[in-house]
Amino acid sequence: MAEALRRVLSAGRAAGPAGDGAAGPPLLLLGTPRSAQTSLLFAAALEAAGEGRGPVLFLTRRPLQSLPLNTPAARNPWRLQKVRFQYPSSVPELLQLLASAHEAPGPALSLLLLDGLEEYLAEDSGIQEAAYLAALLLDTAAYFSHRLGASGRCGLVVALETQKEADSDAPHLTLLQRYFPAQCWLQPDTLGSGQQHCLRASLESSKLSPRTEWSVTFLPNGEMKIIPWPTQASEPSPDKNCSSTESQSLTL
Amino acid sequence: MAVALPEVVEELLSEMAAAVRDGERIPDEHLSSLKFVFGPSAIQALDLVDRESVTLISSPSGRRVYQVLGSSGKTYTCLASCHYCSCPAFAFSVLRKSDSLLCKHLLAIYLSQVMRNCQQLSVSDKQLTDLLLMEKTQEA
Repeated sequence: MAEALRRVLSAGRAAGPAGDGAAGPPLLLLGTPRSAQTSLLFAAALEAAGEGRGPVLFLTRRPLQSLPLNTPAARNPWRLQKVRFQYPSSVPELLQLLASAHEAPGPALSLLLLDGLEEYLAEDSGIQEAAYLAALLLDTAAYFSHRLGASGRCGLVVALETQKEADSDAPHLTLLQRYFPAQCWLQPDTLGSGQQHCLRASLESSKLSPRTEWSVTFLPNGEMKIIPWPTQASEPSPDKNCSSTESQSLTL
Repeated sequence: MAVALPEVVEELLSEMAAAVRDGERIPDEHLSSLKFVFGPSAIQALDLVDRESVTLISSPSGRRVYQVLGSSGKTYTCLASCHYCSCPAFAFSVLRKSDSLLCKHLLAIYLSQVMRNCQQLSVSDKQLTDLLLMEKTQEA
């Protein structure tokens, strides 16, 4: 991340200094549905791209058909050109890309993102293969952090689709948690109405740190609204509409 | 390696490193503690270090990877940034069963840093890529 995603969720408020080179621990973005993960990864990419640091690499198996968000940042060509998309179509292609990252010319990455890890793990799901893929992702981010030196670290966020929190069916989840100390769970908020899509995002930076939660709403026009999850009224009343609460539009 | 080890292990390695730095013999109680924490792997790892089996391979890019020559003559690849070894014991005891913290090869890397007898090798960027990719074919 981890830090870029936390700043996205915090919508720039009380999230600590931006642009100080902090990357946070490697983060696993878990939950359903996939489209929300892609949007949040993209928001994190735009956040990091706006920091004036190195480029962002966004890895996903299939090319995106459209921009996952319609925010001012997503329409900012200066930010967009700092996000490089690559589409490794198989595990060998992904491993080749990561293992040879040090051969590519150009500035060191400030953020490495992988969307849809489950698609790669499903194809080649031995425990050692999964561990090597996770470890090589960490090693690649660590290499770019080494290159950045005092000017910062390269963050790492990997999205893995699961059906529910603590889903034991998710491929190699326990193994992945060994390599990714920070996790952000996305759970559908059933109170979403109409075409809106509401989620509860729960972020734990480590096993010992407190959980921070937000309500994330995706509007039909492609905007994303994020508000802190109410700590007092954690069980919303049935007639509450997730969009009716006082919300702040994300303006990256 | 930029990986957090349990505090007791960090402290033990640090005290062993201090003894080496001061030109002293590593106290027997430290070796006993090592054996207590890591079991038979401790002796096997010390043996690997004695035989100078740990090599840190780096390329002009600055990327690095470790290779450890196992007792069977087989070479294992270990990442420099996090705990990963291509040996079967790492997959079984560390990843699957979670009853070991490290395999003997990863422990040997830590100990070779303490003992300051890690071998160094420079390769090209392309060769380093090949080493990282070759790992996938090393599995048992």
